[in-house]
Amino acid sequence: MKHLTEEEFIEHYYGEDVYKADAEMHLQACNQCAQAYEELGKLLGSVRTLDPPARSPEYGAQIWQSIQGSLQPYPVKKKRGFFMWPQLAYACACLLFVALAFLAGRFWEHTHRPPSIAGTPQQSRERVVLFVLNNHLDRSERLLVQLNHAGAEVENTNLPLRLEAQQLLTDNQLYRQSVTQANDPLLTAALDHLERVLLEVANSPDELSSADVARIEQEMNTQGLLFQIRVLRTKVSQQEKHSQAIRTGVTL
Amino acid sequence: MGNDDHVLIRQILAGDKDAYGLLVARHSVSIFRVAFRITENEADADEVVQETFLRSYRNLGSFNAQANFRTWIYRIAMNCALDVLNKSKKLTTLPVAEEYDGELSTVQLADSAAGPDRLLLSQEIEARRQAAMKKLTPTEHLAFVLRHMEDRSTEEIATALGIAPNSAKQAVFRAVQKLRQSLVPLWVKS
Repeated sequence: MKHLTEEEFIEHYYGEDVYKADAEMHLQACNQCAQAYEELGKLLGSVRTLDPPARSPEYGAQIWQSIQGSLQPYPVKKKRGFFMWPQLAYACACLLFVALAFLAGRFWEHTHRPPSIAGTPQQSRERVVLFVLNNHLDRSERLLVQLNHAGAEVENTNLPLRLEAQQLLTDNQLYRQSVTQANDPLLTAALDHLERVLLEVANSPDELSSADVARIEQEMNTQGLLFQIRVLRTKVSQQEKHSQAIRTGVTL
Repeated sequence: MGNDDHVLIRQILAGDKDAYGLLVARHSVSIFRVAFRITENEADADEVVQETFLRSYRNLGSFNAQANFRTWIYRIAMNCALDVLNKSKKLTTLPVAEEYDGELSTVQLADSAAGPDRLLLSQEIEARRQAAMKKLTPTEHLAFVLRHMEDRSTEEIATALGIAPNSAKQAVFRAVQKLRQSLVPLWVKS
């Protein structure tokens, strides 16, 4: 048989035990627990304090008299008007301020909007064209220089001019068509001249003889074309630098 | 009563200080009773009542309108009583109590017949009880008084003391154990 613990005795004494009926049954059945519980009851029953002295009916009034001088009345809250004008005006002012700030921000943004880094699509396209055209003229210039040197120094040249000329020829056709549409007669004429030289080299035998090179130089005036290409490349480089400077300035 | 309390509180917060006088009149006697149970001193109990109503008025703005004013002011009264108990514990020296002799394992209950010896024993029991009560911690003291004298439930004690119900129950257990240890020797003597 499991006896009641001291805590269970105390809970039972104050009527707060969860299993009250079980505790009662146990106390009836177990003399040891019943005796211990009786002792606890008598012990706690002896613990009595003095009865509180009676207070007169005026006790509350006396306490109030003693403390009311120390108490400050709570501030009277002003009744609000029907439409709560001050609050409404404040809210409207806030809304108006926010709206004005928003509009001012939009206006300032519109007037001070920096040009986009990428610029317009047309400007971007122009920069790309200048870049690739400059690259194309550079490669063409090197090919012409190699061609001129080859004809002057060696008997048979075994340089990869033909393959390079074939690649440049394809590009050159595209650039020439683009430049023609852009209405630039000087560049169009130069690219047209270059195309004919490239076509000649591209269609030449694998090993060009000095006589072949000399013929091409003479018939195609490659020296004059080289000069033209250099002038054009300088011009295109300047345009490209100018475009780059504008872009950099915007970024800064 | 509860609704009336709330009406008065609204009036007080609206600037009607005198309405608080009605609240004081309504609750002062019950606060005094429990304060006296705790302090066992009439002057201290009066001091607790005054301090309770002063604190209550100053904190009335934070009173939750959904709460029960009586429970709320009871809790303030407990805090005030705690302050008084702590103050009195600092000022008074505990009387040296006889320790329980563990060899005396049997308990003999007192004879119910009243005589000079019996009266003397009752005085000794009362002195020992007071000493034992002073040995309790403030929380144990309050919990025991509320449980044993005021017949408050564990939940009510927990609310009044601002502690968890289980803590309140344990405080009562510890108080009873301490009282038992102090008082059992007297039962043996009798």
